[in-house]
Amino acid sequence: MNIAEWSGKFFLIAFILYTASFLGFVLSLTGRKWSNRDPQEHTRRWSRMAFFLSTAGLAGHLLFFFSRWYIAGHIPTSNMFEFMTFLGMMIMAAFSVVYLIYRTPILGAFAMPVGIVILAYAAVFPREVQPLIPALKSYWLYIHVTTAATGEAFFAVGFAAGLMYLLRTVDFGAKTKQARKQQRGVEFSLLVILIIIGFIGSIFAFRSIGYEAQFSRQVVTIDENGKEQVATQTVDYVLPPLIKPYNSETVQMQPFLGLTAPLAEAPSWMNGVNAGRKLNTVVWSIIAGLVLYGVLRLALRKPLGAAISPIMEGIDPEDLDEINYRAIAIGFPIFTLGALIFAMIWAAEAWGRFWGWDPKEVWALITWLFYSAFLHLRLSRGWQGSRSAWLSVIGFIVVMFTLIGVNLVIAGLHSYAGV
Amino acid sequence: MGTVLCESCGKPLYDDDGTAPLEMRYDGVARRSQKANPTWIDKIWNFFSSVKVAVYLIIITLCGAALGTIYPQENTFLNIDPETYYRETYGLSGFIYYKLGLSHTYESWWFIGLLVMIGTSLVVCSLDRVLPLYRALSKQQIRKHLNFLERQKVTYSGPIAAPEPARAPDAQEWVERMASHLRKKRYRVYTDGTALLAEKNRFSRWGPYINHIGLIIFLLAVVLRSLPGWHMDKHIGFPEGEIKPIPDTPYYLKNEKFTVEFYKPEEMSEQFRKKNETVPKLFETKAVLYECTANCGEPGKEPVLKEAARHDILVNHPLEYKGLMAYQFDYEMKPVLLSVKAMLKNKLTGKAYGPFLIKMRNPQTVYEAGPYRLQLKDYYPDFDINEQGQPVTKSSEPNAPAFIFLITGPDLPQQGETYMYFPRQIDKQRFRQDDINGATGSRFDITVGSMNDVEVSNYISYLNIRVDRALPFIWTGAAISMLGLILGFYWQHRRIWLRIDGDRLTLGAHTNKNWFGLRREVAAALEKMGMKVDPKSLEKR
Repeated sequence: MNIAEWSGKFFLIAFILYTASFLGFVLSLTGRKWSNRDPQEHTRRWSRMAFFLSTAGLAGHLLFFFSRWYIAGHIPTSNMFEFMTFLGMMIMAAFSVVYLIYRTPILGAFAMPVGIVILAYAAVFPREVQPLIPALKSYWLYIHVTTAATGEAFFAVGFAAGLMYLLRTVDFGAKTKQARKQQRGVEFSLLVILIIIGFIGSIFAFRSIGYEAQFSRQVVTIDENGKEQVATQTVDYVLPPLIKPYNSETVQMQPFLGLTAPLAEAPSWMNGVNAGRKLNTVVWSIIAGLVLYGVLRLALRKPLGAAISPIMEGIDPEDLDEINYRAIAIGFPIFTLGALIFAMIWAAEAWGRFWGWDPKEVWALITWLFYSAFLHLRLSRGWQGSRSAWLSVIGFIVVMFTLIGVNLVIAGLHSYAGV
Repeated sequence: MGTVLCESCGKPLYDDDGTAPLEMRYDGVARRSQKANPTWIDKIWNFFSSVKVAVYLIIITLCGAALGTIYPQENTFLNIDPETYYRETYGLSGFIYYKLGLSHTYESWWFIGLLVMIGTSLVVCSLDRVLPLYRALSKQQIRKHLNFLERQKVTYSGPIAAPEPARAPDAQEWVERMASHLRKKRYRVYTDGTALLAEKNRFSRWGPYINHIGLIIFLLAVVLRSLPGWHMDKHIGFPEGEIKPIPDTPYYLKNEKFTVEFYKPEEMSEQFRKKNETVPKLFETKAVLYECTANCGEPGKEPVLKEAARHDILVNHPLEYKGLMAYQFDYEMKPVLLSVKAMLKNKLTGKAYGPFLIKMRNPQTVYEAGPYRLQLKDYYPDFDINEQGQPVTKSSEPNAPAFIFLITGPDLPQQGETYMYFPRQIDKQRFRQDDINGATGSRFDITVGSMNDVEVSNYISYLNIRVDRALPFIWTGAAISMLGLILGFYWQHRRIWLRIDGDRLTLGAHTNKNWFGLRREVAAALEKMGMKVDPKSLEKR
């Protein structure tokens, strides 16, 4: 077996170990009530084992990272797959740091899945090693991307703690207006996570059955001599086309559950050939997420938040609040250094300006401003606890939009990271 | 609300019977903004000194910045007419976006106004807090009021344990032993009889203010860039082999050779090769920078140039010379004829004379070829024949160069004979050089031996020429800001106060961050003194 195959195996092993570790953390809490055992001793033993697994997973992940570095000849953070796997690795590392400080098994039950979902998401993107374009040939690729991802990883841990705080403190039985608002908020956050899982799941499901559809369209451009040039653009769908690109012809389309033609066409303002495909993917993700939510809801017969919250019993919410704040306080300087200062130094070197209001830059600034606001608000009374938790959840959504949304929706100079 | 705590003893000035944790921000002293009877200056000061206002400003700026990313900003395009571009490309919503001025969000008055307000808020907020805080921290009293200790977020009270069961506990000695434990934990300890104050990492309190100073320097540096001469940003195309002036500077730049390379299939991974994509590997301009020493920009005179720097410009590796920077920006493949080494051939004798160099840009006026003399009568760099049948040049670019020579020499009339020469074969045929020259054409021919005698520019390399004198200040600001963040976030200012009244210990502790760590440290210290306490139980709810 060559190194490339080993590299792929390491990734798989890391993924499996992380998943096992997650289950270990969950069982360390839910298994407390199992018969003939001391609850505290059970939690201690199981969480120790789970942390061992997550550390072993991190070791496997590092092997993957360095073997891929060796194959590619450059640090594997140059496309979306590589960046997302790196972010996943940093989330696991950030979790380990925070766990070693606070030793709360419940953090594992929530931070591990955040990392796991990020890794699964990474696997959606093309996995092959790509040659490095001239713009990325700089040692700042190593420094800027890794530090920025490390900062973001701590925000991810803060997000996990924030969500835990909400699940712990929101009263799922109460009927007051305030409580209902909170319940709906938690439920919506969980639904968003399910939609992301739905996205990953549907891509993998259709890929495994080899689904394909292709559309083409004519694009008229005027060249420099004023002549009309007609070019044909084609776009391949991996998911069955509910929506086809604007103004396009079907080249081929496998029927799916009686669906033989697209149901609708993308609106005219989505004029990029890939815009239709992206819209189709979003629609599919929402459908899959809703289906997933519906199935879970039917199986549990209560809102998901209410179903998860018992696992939080006996956890001190003040601790969760503290972990939330601490994770963000650790991550903020790292994020500032990586995503703004190093980014500016590299931009000055590669593009000749340290700041150019490129969408990715703007969103990094927005993320930074958001967490600055968070840190300032913590100084005020009444912003600890549940409000902080909400801010942390929203903050991580901003982070994810900066990392993924900007590339999918806006693009700009950082478009190399797209699919 | 002004000062809320007695500055020396810490006794709450209001609500002194309460039990809720005390307001410890800035150690409970009044800030400048909390004066009674504010004047209008005070009112402005008060507005900008509020953290709440600062947070609002941050949130508004954040939303404004997000609006600017909906559609590409105008400055991402080099040549567009925004009036029509946004409507045509993005439809009605694009037109509204343009009309609202969001297509240049970051240059708009309101956005810059927000940044200025944030800057003001940074200065005012910091000054308003750092001075009273400095005052409060530099004159701390060791013995604090009991109420102050009991109302800290971390507090403990109970009888002190004796070092040995047989002896009665001695308060003085207890405090001494506690002090030595705390010193081992890197606390500075001050004692006053049976009272103790232990403090560490006070410098961490200055972190936010150092960070704010860095941000202010950064923002001021950004403002400096708008001063004339501090900032320049130009895109210039440099054809290979040509020396071109850089406007507004004494510099000239020559692109000796431009190279673009693509990855070969064997350099790609197996999976990627299957995709059949071409990926650029290298863009390189071999550049020479000249400094003009005399006759600069004077019409009709050759400038005197001195080589200043030589650099292979790559993406990520700009040329830098005394604050002038040249970045690889773009390239265009555009073959342009630069010069030919020509021979004058006498068709009758079969003899060829030369070679002589004809340049397509600023050609010489006289050429010598053996016994013959060629005088340039007219030159059309971009030759064409207009509707009236007259020869014209369409541009000053040598796209279709045409030369009209007056040849004099042996066997030729005194006044000479005119000869028209098209160096490019394609133009020679298109404009029928042989027919134009008639009889002269049957006697003479200007020929070019091989491709080695032809100098062609294949590429135009577009360089981004920049000057940014504010950069050192930008980096200084960023470094100071970063230092402040590290001091403020990775260390915490911890203080422990205690006093013993009889054999009863009362302890209070405060930190600006990481209460978990403080509780653990206090519990560990008490344990060393033989008092086992759960860290969690120290927390005051």
